[in-house]
Amino acid sequence: MAPIELLIELTLMPLIAFIVGMMMVLMMRRIAAKIQRRIGPPFFQPLYDIVKLHGKRTQVSHGLIHDIGIVMAMGGYIAAETLLPVPGMDGIAEKGGLITLLYLMMIPSLGLALGVGQCANPNGSIGIARALTAMLAYDIPLVIVIFGVAYAAGTTNLVEIIATQQAGGFATWGVIEMPLLAIAGLIAMHASLGKQPFEIYIAPAEIATGPMVEMSGKYLGGLFVMQCFQLYTTSVLYVSLFLGGGTTWFDFLIKSFLVLAIPVSIAYLFPRYRTEDLLRLMWKWPVMLGLIGLAFVM
Amino acid sequence: MIFSLLDELLIFSAATVLVALVLGRGLAVGWMVTILYAGQLLVLIKMAALGYGGDPIASELSLSVMGQDLSWRFDALSWFFALITLVAALLTSWFSCGEWERKFKQQGGNVWLFHLAMALNVFTMLILLASGDLLSLFIGWELVSWAGFLLMAVAGGVATKAAMRYITYAVVGGMSIFGGIALVYAAAGSLQYEAILIAVEKMSTGQLWMLVLLFGSGFGIKMGLLPFHLWQAAAYAETPGPGSAFLGAISSRMGLFAILLVLVKLFGIVNIDSLKIPFTLIDARDLLAWIAVFTIIFPTYTALKQNDARYLLAWHGIGQGGYMLLGLVTANSLGAAGGLLHVLNYAACQAALLMAVFAVMHRTGTADLNKLGGLVTRMPLSFLVLLTGIIGLAGLPPMNGFVSKWLVYRSLLEDGMPLLFLGTIIGTLGTILSVYKLIHNMFLGQLRVEHEPVREAPWSMMIPMLILAGTIFVTGLLPGIPLTWVTAALQTIGLTGPEITLGGIESSSGSLDMIWVIGVLFAGFGIGAVIFYSAGPSKRVHQLDNYAGGHFLTADVRYQYSDNFYSGLMHLIKGWYRGSFQWLENSITSLVEFLSLGMQGIYRRANSEFYLLSTALFIIAWVVF
Repeated sequence: MAPIELLIELTLMPLIAFIVGMMMVLMMRRIAAKIQRRIGPPFFQPLYDIVKLHGKRTQVSHGLIHDIGIVMAMGGYIAAETLLPVPGMDGIAEKGGLITLLYLMMIPSLGLALGVGQCANPNGSIGIARALTAMLAYDIPLVIVIFGVAYAAGTTNLVEIIATQQAGGFATWGVIEMPLLAIAGLIAMHASLGKQPFEIYIAPAEIATGPMVEMSGKYLGGLFVMQCFQLYTTSVLYVSLFLGGGTTWFDFLIKSFLVLAIPVSIAYLFPRYRTEDLLRLMWKWPVMLGLIGLAFVM
Repeated sequence: MIFSLLDELLIFSAATVLVALVLGRGLAVGWMVTILYAGQLLVLIKMAALGYGGDPIASELSLSVMGQDLSWRFDALSWFFALITLVAALLTSWFSCGEWERKFKQQGGNVWLFHLAMALNVFTMLILLASGDLLSLFIGWELVSWAGFLLMAVAGGVATKAAMRYITYAVVGGMSIFGGIALVYAAAGSLQYEAILIAVEKMSTGQLWMLVLLFGSGFGIKMGLLPFHLWQAAAYAETPGPGSAFLGAISSRMGLFAILLVLVKLFGIVNIDSLKIPFTLIDARDLLAWIAVFTIIFPTYTALKQNDARYLLAWHGIGQGGYMLLGLVTANSLGAAGGLLHVLNYAACQAALLMAVFAVMHRTGTADLNKLGGLVTRMPLSFLVLLTGIIGLAGLPPMNGFVSKWLVYRSLLEDGMPLLFLGTIIGTLGTILSVYKLIHNMFLGQLRVEHEPVREAPWSMMIPMLILAGTIFVTGLLPGIPLTWVTAALQTIGLTGPEITLGGIESSSGSLDMIWVIGVLFAGFGIGAVIFYSAGPSKRVHQLDNYAGGHFLTADVRYQYSDNFYSGLMHLIKGWYRGSFQWLENSITSLVEFLSLGMQGIYRRANSEFYLLSTALFIIAWVVF
């Protein structure tokens, strides 16, 4: 591939991810509004929010690491998008693969954890301790799922995993061939988004929104951007693993939004679990489903 | 007689010991031995052809003891381990020069003994790595054990107790190895590797099992493999700063070196694979793999509970050994390369981490994670080193630990071992949790009032730390460089490495190119920075200028979350820490004590006539029958 073409892809992939991510935030808010019988925000509200937060006159910093944490939180996802193939663009997916993508997706959490740490607010630190605990909870089933898919496909190359599913048609989609893994993956994905009932680290009533407690202005704006990327990355990864990726942008986006709509719709119906209950739930049901699903694959 | 390069190296190393011994009470001994370590490293670099598959270099010295020929030689595997050993020795010794030494002396430490013990450790390790047959291996092994003991015991007090515990384990291990060697000698009639290789082919399953168990447990004790891991954390953590970093980085890996030499090279993975455990589906190799995975999981989650930074890291050191062994027993090209590469990657991370912790200890006087916090504003460079180290230890991009762990994961994926794979990930997640606790409780959160005047560590400490941090990053960016050495080392023990590129590996089932991964990562950070900093300036506030939910904050109120850091998690899993291994060790200790009491009792009570009579009867019986 010509370098200039690759450069265009590497620029476009995060940009598209950001725009789609903002629309996903919008969808999330509209669903919440429907469930709560409100009208919900206008179409451009996510964009307004980001611009507003970045444009605030008072920006409060707790130190250099606070700033760098936010940069890492955004930057990690921007980098991760280039490893996530979309219709017509593979970026550098073949140079990293699934495991690298999974680990790159931890960089934003690390950045956030460092930034929050320097805020020197115990509520924030408790939030991070809980967020990392949640990661320990949902990553175990998630890893079983990833292992199953990669083993069944015989590769960790996402491009090939998608191509195999598309070549075989609907019947070879991950969700048909590995339904148990798909269910386990959906639960793990839901928890990884940190939405209710797995919202243990935000917990506004308990620890004053945890990691976000000292964030305002562009700091919160940066986290907003990160959330757009997070929603996009998680749902697109799921679509790539289980729903055959996208042949065209149209079906790709429909699938991605539909997948995301499931956890988001569930989220606004439930209150929050306690930390140890989240661990117990994650280590029981999705792990069990995942292991049984894995046994079928092996 | 013409000296070979290996002779030069060993003589240089012996000279270092001599200098430390004779001139050790004089001034600037630290600088002197540091320069000598650098000299040793230069000689080793002259042997660099070994790392690219050159012919082994033999020592001119050879002895013959009771008909047994003893010889020493360096091949790619020895060179690889020696490189790590000497770089670790050079940098830790550098760290100890100047201010650290002065403070150590003030606190009543014996600088002379410390440097002597360090030099002895390096020298004995080189002898072990150069061993050319089983007998010289055993001699080197024992020397390393006792040199390690000396270094651990230098600090006195708690350290001596930990060192005693270590040497008890080490002596048991040594006896087990000696038993193994005796069995090998009985079967092969020689202790030369060539003769053993032939004899192994004819050994019965029972014999092989016995040897695998004897050698495996003997060498495993040094590595801290489960269930022989209890001695290690305290012994390493209580050693004086630079010594702790040195031991933590490489000492245990001598066990891995010996395992590779004896179990992999001499016995062969294929033979070990053929040792089935009756009535189960597993064989000796699976057993080793599972021991490796449990060595990852249990010590890592013990580390999570520690409240002393040194102990936390020392426990992780045990856990990381599991990744190396696991990678190597998979014995496919990816896993073996990952396991061996992790020796280097881990050594760089662990040395950097322990140095950063000891730098903080040097300035604040404590490594208690509940008595620190907020130091990032006072010691920013130490923070940077610790951050680099924890990212590497946890195995996240862009640092080197990611590459070696990635290789291990991939090998397990390719071999279709989901449970082992899951075990490694559980270990990695535990590591992430625990290293965040480490960096948060030391450097993030609120600065304590008494730490307001703390300054950055002196340059004599900072430079070696920064060199290590640089190494961690560069070997993560260009893993092709160390992977070349690793591939050469693997060939000497009969394994093959993967196809290497400068940025990683090339494989039909998924490649890795770290140059691209790190490139896009930093480009991402760049874009993030542009978005962030284009939004206008921010105002820096005091650490007490915080949202406290209506409470007033004053400087005398501690507002730091450090104790019981993962309370939600611990609430669930605290019942799972049963201390079974401690219980096992205690019961064995009690049993030995009970037996020795009984023997003492017989000895004291019985009169000499009875002894004479019973001995005489025994001899008669022996002669007659």
